[in-house]
Amino acid sequence: MVEVLINGRTVSVAEGTTILKAAEQAGIDIPHFCYHPAFPPDGSCRMCLVEIEGQPKLELSCSTVVRPGLKVLTASPPVLAARRDILEMFLAEHPLDCPICDKAGECLLQDYYQAHSFLRGRFWEAREKREKLLPLGRRLLLDRERCVLCTRCVRFLQLYTGTGELGVFERAVRTEIGTFEDRPVDNDYSGNLVDLCPVGAITDADFRFRTRAWFLDRKPSLCPKCGRGCNISVDVVCGYPLPPRERRLYRIRPRENPDVNGYWVCDIGRYAYAADLRDNRRIQAAFVRNGEETPVPVDEALARVAAALKAAVRGGRAERLAVVLNSSLTNEELSQARELFVSRLGVKNVSFADPLPGQADGRLLTAERCGNARGVADSGFPAADLNPKTWAEGSDAALIFGSHLLDAQRREEIIAGLAKVPFKALFAAHPTPLDGAVDVIVPVSLAAEKGGHLTNVDGRVQAFEPVWPAAGDGLAESVILGRLREELG
Amino acid sequence: MTDRVLSDAYPEGGLWRLDAYLKSGGYEGARKALTGMKPEEVVDEVKKANLRGRGGAGFPAGVKWSFVPRTADKPVYIALNADEGEPGTAKDRAILAHNPHAVLEGLLITAFAVGAHDAYIYVRGEYEALARRLEEAIGEAAAKGFLGARVFGRDFRLDVTVHRGAGSYICGEETALLESLEGRRGEPRLKPPFPAAVGLFQAPTVINNVETLACVPLIIRNGADWFVKLGLPKDGGARVFTVSGAVVRPGLYEIAHGTTLRQLIFEHAGGLRPGRTLKAVIPGGMSAALLRADEVDLPLDFDSLARSGSMIGSAGVIVIDDTANLLVVLNVIARFYAHESCGQCTPCRLGTAWIRKVAGRLVEGRGGPGDLDEIARVAGGIKGRTQCPMGDGAALPIIALVGKFRAELEAALHG
Repeated sequence: MVEVLINGRTVSVAEGTTILKAAEQAGIDIPHFCYHPAFPPDGSCRMCLVEIEGQPKLELSCSTVVRPGLKVLTASPPVLAARRDILEMFLAEHPLDCPICDKAGECLLQDYYQAHSFLRGRFWEAREKREKLLPLGRRLLLDRERCVLCTRCVRFLQLYTGTGELGVFERAVRTEIGTFEDRPVDNDYSGNLVDLCPVGAITDADFRFRTRAWFLDRKPSLCPKCGRGCNISVDVVCGYPLPPRERRLYRIRPRENPDVNGYWVCDIGRYAYAADLRDNRRIQAAFVRNGEETPVPVDEALARVAAALKAAVRGGRAERLAVVLNSSLTNEELSQARELFVSRLGVKNVSFADPLPGQADGRLLTAERCGNARGVADSGFPAADLNPKTWAEGSDAALIFGSHLLDAQRREEIIAGLAKVPFKALFAAHPTPLDGAVDVIVPVSLAAEKGGHLTNVDGRVQAFEPVWPAAGDGLAESVILGRLREELG
Repeated sequence: MTDRVLSDAYPEGGLWRLDAYLKSGGYEGARKALTGMKPEEVVDEVKKANLRGRGGAGFPAGVKWSFVPRTADKPVYIALNADEGEPGTAKDRAILAHNPHAVLEGLLITAFAVGAHDAYIYVRGEYEALARRLEEAIGEAAAKGFLGARVFGRDFRLDVTVHRGAGSYICGEETALLESLEGRRGEPRLKPPFPAAVGLFQAPTVINNVETLACVPLIIRNGADWFVKLGLPKDGGARVFTVSGAVVRPGLYEIAHGTTLRQLIFEHAGGLRPGRTLKAVIPGGMSAALLRADEVDLPLDFDSLARSGSMIGSAGVIVIDDTANLLVVLNVIARFYAHESCGQCTPCRLGTAWIRKVAGRLVEGRGGPGDLDEIARVAGGIKGRTQCPMGDGAALPIIALVGKFRAELEAALHG
């Protein structure tokens, strides 16, 4: 450990710590644009200059490593003067279009200006004209007038994804970020560039002009799209400025967790999961007859499922029920399901239907594309074989959670198999191609709409809370399983 | 003149051919070092000679070499900085044109001293003919066994590669030069680590200026004491000054350290044209703070100039007489740095642009004395806060100009 004096306070930090990190550990914020904890110091923004006793010049706190007895001042008059000068230079060539900038409210330039200067403008010259709307690839748009050239985006693509789609071009005041010969940014982590950008230079077509940052409620949750269990923030607005009782999801962003996802989340978690939550949800329960759906209250639908289960129990045929679960269920739901179907009813035919595995990408995305595969493996569930022709044969009733039967089997085969079963219930968050082939459909929650625990690919059990209740009449599987258990007594 | 050590070697017709250079005692220094000295002895001799970096920073070359780790598991490289771009400076051009072998011999001795086997000569893009001449000289030296697999028949290899820049001032900054050599955008690196520890291709690297290395053979041949006596105790040898501007005989003058600026201008360069009076001097390339006419009695050496608040820098002396409009001078300086800033760090990228915009307005007659304060204030915001020394280079002449020549500038505003 090394002891240093920061603003007169003794701070003890590990050897090799930079002044900026040491200050951070002591709760002292040193403003910075180019520094990001995921990358080696860059030193280009010069915002983090601090005074070190005995040094003639201000030093970079992002790259200067602590030495015993170092005396650092992070808010002395020379430091504040330097910060104000740098901010003034940034603002001189900045468009100041905060009123229409998506970053407003969570912009470092805005925050630092407020904290450090509030100076009147002294730059009366003509600002450089630059590209305001340059598509970079995927959903990314670049506004070069807002860019402060911190190069976090360039370095992320070099150091994290290794794809290097962005570079620095031109020089002096004409320096700009761009792609090489119009080859776009195209990798599965592109959305992180928007979060990394300290200002509103890189914006997301998905979020652009949709709302203001200060209306957002940033709710912690977990991404269920693969086995990583990335910690995410689901940014939502409930009520004002939306009409009363209206709610909307605006974006998904990573939450920092060095043990799981670092600072990042992949585009599947960010965009595909947001679309899962937002788009085309099943919001009402329904009875289905001859392929026609009739909306019913969800309690009525559940009562009918319970009745079918009871009938099977009465007929002594409960163990021949067919139950299809999925690996997105929480650990709690898995044990509820096990207690109900295996222990209580003695069902032999419990199987799991999940999205087909993909390629692990060596970064965050795992091969399994569901949120709790490890939890299922650890639960010791006796999973039955899912032969498309025989899985439901001889059953009085089939309970199907999720629609991923379709991932491994042809729809026609599944429907042919289902046709032999007298009663079929489907629990799904979205309309599915199986909807017409079942008798009852119950809407369910997605991960952001429930709480519990998921076990990630490394065996780490992570707890999460619901962001908000499910869409429409949707219920968490835990609620559904609890109700069925109650009904059976 | 006894102090002409590099330029004495430029007889009629030049010395760029190897046989001419050999006749003048060429490669004797290298032979002495490689066949009779230990690498540490060479480093010590150069340290004793107080050979300070001729690129502008004035860091003692021997000390720089001694920073190279001797036990590294990585190769040691040499990067010879021939990216002479400081406005008002053309000394390396003359040395490369007339005496390329002196540079190569210096390179060879340096390589031996630091244990390097690969050297890169980074030649300014505009010096195309000089790059070709260097290639030729390398070919000649290799044919004689002064370069290549077995130098002087000893178990010592040195391969030299000439690399041409692409026309950027910043690539003369040593770490930007390394970036450019590695094929990347020429931007200065964050220091530390310094190149002697982590330089080219992440390996220890010695970077020296052309003129610096051209002095090395003379030091080895004639001894450190001879070199120190030529100049000053803390600043050995002579210096090739490029004198340009309002003098009768602009050109290159090799004079010993310690000669005064007044002597250089009025004796060597023939003084000003008839009827003109001296107004200002830029003593060390455009990045140096301007001196007033009454400040020219300074001895020309690193420390004296530094004490005056300016610098000897690359020894490019630009003489400005009373016919010059200092607003134009201001604008020229502002334009240069605003054009050449690499754009990496904020104060230099945006500060130089700000100054250039105001200076451009002033020179067009749209502005007032308040703008001069503004320029000086912005320059003050660049000084000492940038990634590399270019920030100071951009700020110091502006601050000096506005500070020392305020009356003249204001008069020009009204004129």
